[in-house]
Amino acid sequence: MAMHRWNRAARPALWITLMGAGAAAAFASVDRAAPQAPAVSTPLRWRLNTPAALIVPESKALPAAVADKFGARARSVEARAQLRAYEGAPPVIPHATVDMNVQTCRACHAQGLTAGDKVARMASHTYLQNCTQCHVEADGLASLAAPGDPPKPINTFVGFRAGGHGGTRAWTGAPPVMPHTTFMRTNCISCHGEFGYDGWRPDHLSRSNCVQCHAPAAEFDQLAPTFGKADLPDGLSVPLP
Amino acid sequence: MTSSLMTVDQLLTVDRRSFVKTAAMAAATAMASRDARGYALPLLEQAPSSLAWNKAPCRFCGTGCHVMVGTENGRVVAIQGDQKAEVNKGLLCVKGYHVGLAMYGKDRLTTPMLRRNGAMVPISWDEAIETIAARIAANPQGFSFYGSGQWTIPEGYAANKFVKAGLGTNLIDANPRLCMSSAVTGFLSTFGVDEPPGVYDDLDQCDVAIMWGNNMAEMHPVLFSRLVDRRARGEKVTIIDMTTRRTRTSELADHVLYFQPHGDLAIANGIAHLIIKLNGVDSDFVKRHCNFRQLGAAVDANTAPDMLGVPMTFEEFAKAVEPYTPEKVEELSGVPAEKIRLLGELFARRDLRINSLWCMGFNQHTRGTAINCIVHGIHLLSGHFGKPGDAATSLTGQPSACGTAREVGTLCHLLPGGLAVANPEHRAHAEDHWNLAAGSISAKIGYHAIEMFKRFNTPTDQGGDVTTIWVQVTNPGHTLPNLERNFLRKKDLADKFLIVSDVYPTATTSLADLILPSAMWVEKNGMYGNSERRTQQWFKMVEPPGEARDDAWQTIAVSKALFDRGAGMKDKDGTWIFHTQGRDEQAIPIWDWAHYYDINVDERLFDEYRQFSRHKHKDLAPYAEYVKSRGLRWPVVQQPDGAWRETRWRFSGFDDPYVDKGKDFQFYHSVTKDDKALVWFRPHEHPPERPDAEYPFWLCTGRVLEHWHSGTMTRRIPQLHRAMPKAYVELHRDDAAAIGVLSGDMVTVASRRGAVDLAAWIGGRGDPQKGHVFVPFFDETQFINMVTLDAYDPYSKQPDYKKCAVSVRRKV
Repeated sequence: MAMHRWNRAARPALWITLMGAGAAAAFASVDRAAPQAPAVSTPLRWRLNTPAALIVPESKALPAAVADKFGARARSVEARAQLRAYEGAPPVIPHATVDMNVQTCRACHAQGLTAGDKVARMASHTYLQNCTQCHVEADGLASLAAPGDPPKPINTFVGFRAGGHGGTRAWTGAPPVMPHTTFMRTNCISCHGEFGYDGWRPDHLSRSNCVQCHAPAAEFDQLAPTFGKADLPDGLSVPLP
Repeated sequence: MTSSLMTVDQLLTVDRRSFVKTAAMAAATAMASRDARGYALPLLEQAPSSLAWNKAPCRFCGTGCHVMVGTENGRVVAIQGDQKAEVNKGLLCVKGYHVGLAMYGKDRLTTPMLRRNGAMVPISWDEAIETIAARIAANPQGFSFYGSGQWTIPEGYAANKFVKAGLGTNLIDANPRLCMSSAVTGFLSTFGVDEPPGVYDDLDQCDVAIMWGNNMAEMHPVLFSRLVDRRARGEKVTIIDMTTRRTRTSELADHVLYFQPHGDLAIANGIAHLIIKLNGVDSDFVKRHCNFRQLGAAVDANTAPDMLGVPMTFEEFAKAVEPYTPEKVEELSGVPAEKIRLLGELFARRDLRINSLWCMGFNQHTRGTAINCIVHGIHLLSGHFGKPGDAATSLTGQPSACGTAREVGTLCHLLPGGLAVANPEHRAHAEDHWNLAAGSISAKIGYHAIEMFKRFNTPTDQGGDVTTIWVQVTNPGHTLPNLERNFLRKKDLADKFLIVSDVYPTATTSLADLILPSAMWVEKNGMYGNSERRTQQWFKMVEPPGEARDDAWQTIAVSKALFDRGAGMKDKDGTWIFHTQGRDEQAIPIWDWAHYYDINVDERLFDEYRQFSRHKHKDLAPYAEYVKSRGLRWPVVQQPDGAWRETRWRFSGFDDPYVDKGKDFQFYHSVTKDDKALVWFRPHEHPPERPDAEYPFWLCTGRVLEHWHSGTMTRRIPQLHRAMPKAYVELHRDDAAAIGVLSGDMVTVASRRGAVDLAAWIGGRGDPQKGHVFVPFFDETQFINMVTLDAYDPYSKQPDYKKCAVSVRRKV
């Protein structure tokens, strides 16, 4: 389960691909709900999420030591949960899509990128080809919306929410275990990398071989459902002094 | 622990922490079966959590993915794909991931209701049961049961026995009449027995996959990705999409062949023509394993020729397909001749494994039996049969059209286990299994779905002899074609009585006289059988809301009420047909809801039903085996060491235990009784209604990924509803321009039968050909079935929702 190693030489080609219409259309629609663009046309800062960005010197490593680390973690859990019916559900797509062509998904999510303040995370399971089988638009058919449309349903389902931490560490100071299995989560940087969730970003992004030290919690069977109530017996999920 | 499941013995040896966790699980499954028999209830792996996880097949399509259902405090709170399931290996589609929400729409039906003076008033279950029993007892010949491919196997079996043993009629039919019957008649005409010889493993092994008019990317997404994800592993699989419109399937196909309605008949014949011309006939296979057939002359203009047909020689067959040259096929189908040649060349190659796949495009077809037969035929002719990857596979849409309607025989001409009402020997078998007096089972075939509803919608004094229908688990008020004629007229016929067992208010309940709130999916025990003959089981995990109760209980309770009135429901010894007793030989009052779960009624019904399955070699294992597994594909045959072995490739000597030793293939239910399959010649014929000056467009109807069938479940799931909030009509850009329509404009789609207003969607998810429009049917605020045609295949009686003539005008 080692992370992918990208060929540095491939980067220029990828930049060119992203320059194409697919990316332009995609990030224009990403910002559908954003406030009005400034009158003066300034180029949006955007960059591709490549592992090369992770290989940074210690001195310049991103300050992942957020002041309220556990609060940030909880906020990330919440942010992630917004798009999901329950922990483990595929997130809905919060932007318009090109309905028929999964290659446009890949334009942004095969490696991930940022555009302004929007983040397209790297897909955590790029080996699956048929993206739209599981991921559907949060607001579909927007272009056909009309006043008399059927109302949204009321559903009393309450989905399971993960706590976001837990699992028993071997001893104080041992590498924290993953409170989830790796089924469909083989790209760690999708959630934990530079453009992952703030509260889950480690303070050692310069290390790129995550699974060398981190394994799923021993309580899990990798073939069984991937999560439980995440507040497992773990005396170490309280902040260290 | 190597097994995924713990026996009671293993439970006793685990450490305390695991025991405490699994004890919670045991309580949940114990609720489902308090039978004192005490065989080891298998408990599934516990993730470290307060969630209890348990297995079930998905509630939705015929793929039959397995899910893990996470429950907490009596509610479903999470779903996972079951990684241990062979069908889907941990993956689901968007519907499957949200199946746990299907039960929690706010307007669940929770109390029985009776229409009095035009209004629905709540009544008690006792009154409901009595009302139904009185109605049926007054006129049993006027009563019809209408069921479903979403019926669990025990539910369907109970209803079937209720009618055929209990009332002595064959007045029961089910919605697979609208979805799969042509596949059935195709299998019967070819192999003499229903259901695919192949399995999903063929998807993993084929070199070429041909979609014959089915949008697999949206309709069987987990199977489609099983196919395309092979490319991510570096495998080469060629996908050919034969379609009337461009879809998501087309995007991932190597070749897209656009054809005109009924062009499939021409294309298949064109392939047969080329197989012969290119010396692609597997002469050895054909000589040893195939006979040729064609239809005889019609008796008269209104009666189709007998389905058995008349023999023909190979030479006659070759001569019959001679006219179907690539150029002629291009003329009939619109597919370029060079593409026809490509298909012919593929079939002529013996080194390629070819998997043909189809669904509604073939079955909802006025020549559905014919096209099913021809495609089986080209696989047999070219030897692309019976080896992993070489298969002609009919995919089903409903979770148990196979398992229940087809296998249990809940149709007006069938008995359980693939037996036929028309066959006196089969009736005798059924009478034997059911302990009925000889002659108890009626030889008179009942009414198929369209006929049943037509008569129900006709005044009683004008031949409308169906006066009471009990609908369970389906929505004919939405899904019948030509709704005005076949459903809505009931409104003005005061003496007709419609009973509906369902979970939500639907188009059908809107005209119901009696509504019965029902338990859904994991609110009851159940079993389903998917497209690859895999029977799958689940236990009740949560309680149904309010007074909702199992459909099977409802059937059993009414049966008991009728028995108590002396209105049938007994065997030749006068015993009630659902009589159930414990080991102490005391009767268990399963008609009393309070005692229904004292035992596992599913298990009792299933173990009784499975006796039927031996006759046509559709052997089912005992119930307990399905509890332990993620489904088993029949025939399931017990091995000398006691283990139960499923069969993947039927009729193939290397896998099917019923093939005589030493034979490579044996079609042991051969129509011609010589172990041979039939290769049929069927000519191309035009559809019954074609575009003309007044109605110049072809209308095709179908589904979308997000919604399942009539949307009664999926439209109450916010993520699915919001992703696809309403129906629309797809138009070709040029056609839209010609009538002055932009994407988003309202248009009226009208036929000779009715009209519907819809928003036009141009350049959306599907792109029809010029002169075609497509409308999905899931939206109950826009019934496209007001517009569709109810012409049907003469053998299967399945209507054709895929082609009729409409006008499209901008709504002003």
